[in-house]
Amino acid sequence: MIISTCLVQEGQILEGVKTKLHARLNEFTNAKFDSNADVKWTEVPDGSGYTAAQPSTSSIVSLVANRSLEQETRISMLHELCELWAKETGCSLDEIVGVINDPVAS
Amino acid sequence: MPLYLTNAAKGAIDDSAKKKIAEDITQIHCDATNAPPEFVHAFFLEEAPHMPLGGKSAKLVGSIRAGRNEGQKARITAEMQQSICLHAGLPPDEIVVMIRDTPASWVMEGGEILPEPGDEKAWLAAHKTKEAAQHD
Repeated sequence: MIISTCLVQEGQILEGVKTKLHARLNEFTNAKFDSNADVKWTEVPDGSGYTAAQPSTSSIVSLVANRSLEQETRISMLHELCELWAKETGCSLDEIVGVINDPVAS
Repeated sequence: MPLYLTNAAKGAIDDSAKKKIAEDITQIHCDATNAPPEFVHAFFLEEAPHMPLGGKSAKLVGSIRAGRNEGQKARITAEMQQSICLHAGLPPDEIVVMIRDTPASWVMEGGEILPEPGDEKAWLAAHKTKEAAQHD
């Protein structure tokens, strides 16, 4: 499973959109890592999220890869990840932080 | 990125304190690193199960771009703990502050890979130019 942590502002993403995002993330991780997404949602309560000290509309989507990635591959994946998020949510790319971490060395 | 994520016991940090702490977090990070405020996210959660409090009242985990030195991290840690003490009225030993490094090359914001520490000004200028061209 690919741990996929999604941190969003409360009320920003409707349940129906969350369901679609979950499905798209699953497609993404299966295509890139041959593994399902273990999606963990966290909603930042209203009045509790700030970007540049102003109320935030930012979402964070952070995946942990199951192998170390070449940077060119990572960049391509990050573009795809941020674009799928923007397409499903209607957020601008400026409101999306995408992270693809290498697995923790054991 | 950076993302400063604070988890607290229910009611330990009220909304007005969160706003003041978020302002301080932004200022402290920018002063310590010379990064622009646009990059700084400060989010607050309550009783979040994935960030166990370990018996404390508040835990702040800062995920910052790798490359900051130990002096910068120590300053950030100390000043952010003071800010939570001041605005939430919590004693210092009830607050845990941790910093974690994430390579800038692993993070995309605004549709572009983040710059390495010190390269922010050129990155922002290029990003704004690109945005302006897209809106023309």
